[in-house]
Amino acid sequence: MNAALEHPTTVQGLQRHKSPAAILRRLLKNRYVLYLVSISGLLLIWHFSAVNFATSKYMPTPWMVLKELWRIAHENLAGKDLLGHLWSSLHRVLIGFAIGSAVGVPLGLFMALNRYINNLVKPVFDLIKPMPPISWISLAILWFGIGEESKVFIIAIGAFVPALINSYNGIRLVDPALYDAIRMLGANRWQTMMEVTFPAGFPALFAGLQISLSVAWSCVLAAELVSARSGMGFLIILGMTMSNPSMILSGMVVIAVTAYLITVVLSKVEKWVCPWKVELPQ
Amino acid sequence: MNPDTRLKDPLSLRVTPWISFIGFFVVWQLLIDTGIVPRILLASPAEVGQLFIDKLTNPDPDGAVLLTHTMVSLLEAVLGYVLSLVIGIPLGLLMGWFVVAEGLARPPFEMIRPIPPVAWIPLAIFWFGIGLTGKVFIIWACGVVPCVINAYTGVRMTSPTLIQMARTYGASDWQIFTKICVPSALPMVFGGLQIALALAWTTLVAAELIAANEGLGYLITMGRRLLRPDMIVLGMIMVGLTGWIIGNIIDRIERRLTAGLERGGAAT
Repeated sequence: MNAALEHPTTVQGLQRHKSPAAILRRLLKNRYVLYLVSISGLLLIWHFSAVNFATSKYMPTPWMVLKELWRIAHENLAGKDLLGHLWSSLHRVLIGFAIGSAVGVPLGLFMALNRYINNLVKPVFDLIKPMPPISWISLAILWFGIGEESKVFIIAIGAFVPALINSYNGIRLVDPALYDAIRMLGANRWQTMMEVTFPAGFPALFAGLQISLSVAWSCVLAAELVSARSGMGFLIILGMTMSNPSMILSGMVVIAVTAYLITVVLSKVEKWVCPWKVELPQ
Repeated sequence: MNPDTRLKDPLSLRVTPWISFIGFFVVWQLLIDTGIVPRILLASPAEVGQLFIDKLTNPDPDGAVLLTHTMVSLLEAVLGYVLSLVIGIPLGLLMGWFVVAEGLARPPFEMIRPIPPVAWIPLAIFWFGIGLTGKVFIIWACGVVPCVINAYTGVRMTSPTLIQMARTYGASDWQIFTKICVPSALPMVFGGLQIALALAWTTLVAAELIAANEGLGYLITMGRRLLRPDMIVLGMIMVGLTGWIIGNIIDRIERRLTAGLERGGAAT
């Protein structure tokens, strides 16, 4: 949306003598001023609500969370420091994601390309799809014990579903005009697949992998909350059992930053691997 | 059952979905009956069906009948979900149109946004205990994010032509917002509702798995503690089925509310 639509009153900015009210109005139109007001307001409310009525037993101040973050980054918690826990979570995510997408993507592709495979797989997949991946955890623990395998299994299931759906839909929803064009140019079946089907379906497929990875990240946390001896989910549940809210909050900060970094890196990778993706108009 | 089957298809294509569907259950049943998969690891479909009928009236061994578990989960989910809609959608709509609302609400929102919903569980349990309040808080926290994002994007994607036209006719900011931006954001808002629902349901199950004394997630956990795979599978099926039903209801409402919009092509 262009600036003239958002600021219909910019004419006022051209007036030479500004009254205080006009200055205030201009300040209220400035995003960065508002951001500053909002962040400082949030921190102040947080701080004073933690100091005043809710005791620090339930609500730590922002400063205490920062100090706690520093402490868990250096101290040994149940055998590992913060980076060690972060790595064991990421390690599980990577393995589970690799398995889930290695099964999901090819299956989705085959389903989109061959209707017999589609008709065989889809009814069973539709049975599995609506179950939240986390609800598999009890079965996974029965089958694999409480070790690494059960967590990897949950993550693989979580990553499998969006990978399959998106690679399936990505291929199926390719613009038919593209097929007409390349057939006119005399392409055989293999060339059609290589030149049209895969490049045109790839952005949706990659979007599916992005969803898979973020689902995998919440699955690993959920699995670790239920039973684990390491990982970020274990860290925040440890904070809960030790009645240490600053530990929970600082763990959540690390989790959120990791999730944010994953998203940023993936959208960079996306620009790099499929530059032909058409951006939605925002 | 499969939208891809058409009447003119050859017979082999039309029967494959049914073969697969029935074959799935037959193989599952046979795997258990022949002892290839031990009974301690997985229950057969027949056992799950029996347990389903039994659990309709029998509160043992986990303390409540199936309907109670489902209602408890549904109540938690619906309360948290409605709260997140009531707060998230107006907030997102306002953020999309008014600069002041966006400037003030965006930084806190961007801080909450990357936190995976399940990461709220320990904090919620610590603050509110394992009862209803904690669950409602968790679901609210995970439902509000997609509601805000989609309502915001919906308003931002309003066609500039419509806005300019309204300006030309002398509409005020507020009129443009209520008469043009909000209706044209509706399809996006409903997309957000579906995402929020899926998230809320998943997160609720996780929360109940970790700490609860009632609900479908609790049924699954008890199944593991008592080594009753039939209870686990029954819980999973009930979770999937309930989520699917709610999703369909929302889909129906969406189609009714946005019918006029899509016909006119104004949604794009």
